[in-house]
Amino acid sequence: MSKIVIEKAELISKRNLGNGIYVLTFAPFSKLKKIRPGQFVHLQVPHGSIYFRRAFSVYDTSHEIKSFDVLLKNIGQGTRLIASMKKGEMISVLGPLGNGFKDPGRNETVYLIAGGVGMPPIYYLAKYLIGKGYSPKKILFFYGGKIRADLVELSKIRKLGVRLILSTEDGSIGQHGLVTQAVEEEISRVSGQKIFYSCGPVGLLAAVEQLAVKYNIPGQLSLEAPMPCGIGICLGCILPLKKGGYTRVCREGPVYNIGEVVI
Amino acid sequence: MKQDLSINIAGVHFKNPILTASGTCGYGEELADVFNLSELGGIITKTITLKPRDGHPPPRTAEVTSGMLNAIGLANVGVDKFIETKLPYLERFDTRVIVNVAGARLSDYVALCARLNDCARADMVELNFSCPNVDFGMEIAADAALAEKSVREVKKIFSRPVIAKLSPNVTHIAKIAAACENGGADAVSLINTLVGMAVDIKTFRPRLTNNTGGLSGPAIKPVALAAVFKTYQAVKIPIIGIGGISNYRDVVEFFLCGASAVQIGTALFVEPDAPIKIISDLKKYLSENKIRTISELTGQMRIYK
Repeated sequence: MSKIVIEKAELISKRNLGNGIYVLTFAPFSKLKKIRPGQFVHLQVPHGSIYFRRAFSVYDTSHEIKSFDVLLKNIGQGTRLIASMKKGEMISVLGPLGNGFKDPGRNETVYLIAGGVGMPPIYYLAKYLIGKGYSPKKILFFYGGKIRADLVELSKIRKLGVRLILSTEDGSIGQHGLVTQAVEEEISRVSGQKIFYSCGPVGLLAAVEQLAVKYNIPGQLSLEAPMPCGIGICLGCILPLKKGGYTRVCREGPVYNIGEVVI
Repeated sequence: MKQDLSINIAGVHFKNPILTASGTCGYGEELADVFNLSELGGIITKTITLKPRDGHPPPRTAEVTSGMLNAIGLANVGVDKFIETKLPYLERFDTRVIVNVAGARLSDYVALCARLNDCARADMVELNFSCPNVDFGMEIAADAALAEKSVREVKKIFSRPVIAKLSPNVTHIAKIAAACENGGADAVSLINTLVGMAVDIKTFRPRLTNNTGGLSGPAIKPVALAAVFKTYQAVKIPIIGIGGISNYRDVVEFFLCGASAVQIGTALFVEPDAPIKIISDLKKYLSENKIRTISELTGQMRIYK
């Protein structure tokens, strides 16, 4: 049995969340049960003009209808073409890929820190942890963006029962400022073991790493790099390791322990 | 009538002519997560050098129209680790293993091949005379006399077949191929990537830290076909065709131009199971066209005089 499959899946629903952000639901996919939060799928861009696939973190899955969701913002030609797909159109899915997040310890308070369209794997991690019996009371979900329209799917996140702490740089919703400022305020309020999980722009990840060092909190970061192949054979999506040499984000990552990678 | 995809190169039997190209399949471990490598005719491992190399800093790949540019810079684990861990991994697969090697000077190629001569799993070596992204190697690919001498020296110490992988970034690839044949090469493989460039007009920067890179993918297939076609008229040794092969039709084109086998490269980055589909489609093609063995197609193009 292959660990990684290439299958055709149908776009069965598309939700436009505004601000160029869409949630696309594809089905079927035979490896749903094997997907760990933090793993990704590599989707072939339809209509032929783009050569390489595009990588998307898995945002959600439904075992009843054998579907998975991706959330994307149409920032480039590839994402625009995928976002413009119509219901019933097929796409080639390569996956599941990457390593995914490691589970927290039972006593650790989980700090989920999402920035902008880095939210999907963080949401899926929260859903997974709760599904495994982890108390939503011990999960803090920080979600930040530049403006209000960057923050999407708020009612879906709240349904998990986690505490959702929003922040925007313009103050249009939630706390005024960077998401890491909200995180730092919360750190001093709660005692006990903590763990960070973060996905978002590089600036956010660097700030999360600084907090982790300052307060001696372990954690994992989901990183990003343009990925031609997604399975570790092209050696394109590399980042430098602090111990020297490079790591392939698609294969050894995209999730790394805080402090492993030079960001 | 049973269709026969098997081929023979320099006395070595391959179950089919579909090989994976060096630098596009690592040492096999990743593709093995996608399909059974025993389905392949052979795997050509990522170029190894005497010492491990990290390669160039990122970005070192760039997407371009109908293909990609890369300047990985021969990142590899080095020959010691390769022999210790990577080659043994391939023991479990029933496929030919061709080890691609590169060096800064002729003595490096000789030293590498001497080490590999003791490794029975290395069915053949492929001499990378043609990486455009490092400051060595190309002088061999561009110098017929040096290419001939290099093959001759390697043949003295490597007892199994030797393939010379040639660069299209030369004046006459067929002349270099003929020189390699004179030096004792058992086969030539062509083409490696074409030197290319892409530029970011926002930053005024090249899109690769190496500034230039090697162009591969469907964009280079016509160039590769012409190179195989010209080389076929200049040498008697088998030619292994490489360049933008994505489907069985491409394979047939290369055979008609003179190839005896092919390598699938950049297509693996888009469809990692492409070789499996190609092998099955080739069988169908032979059957539908009442061709018994794929070798019959080699050089069968009806050229205009």
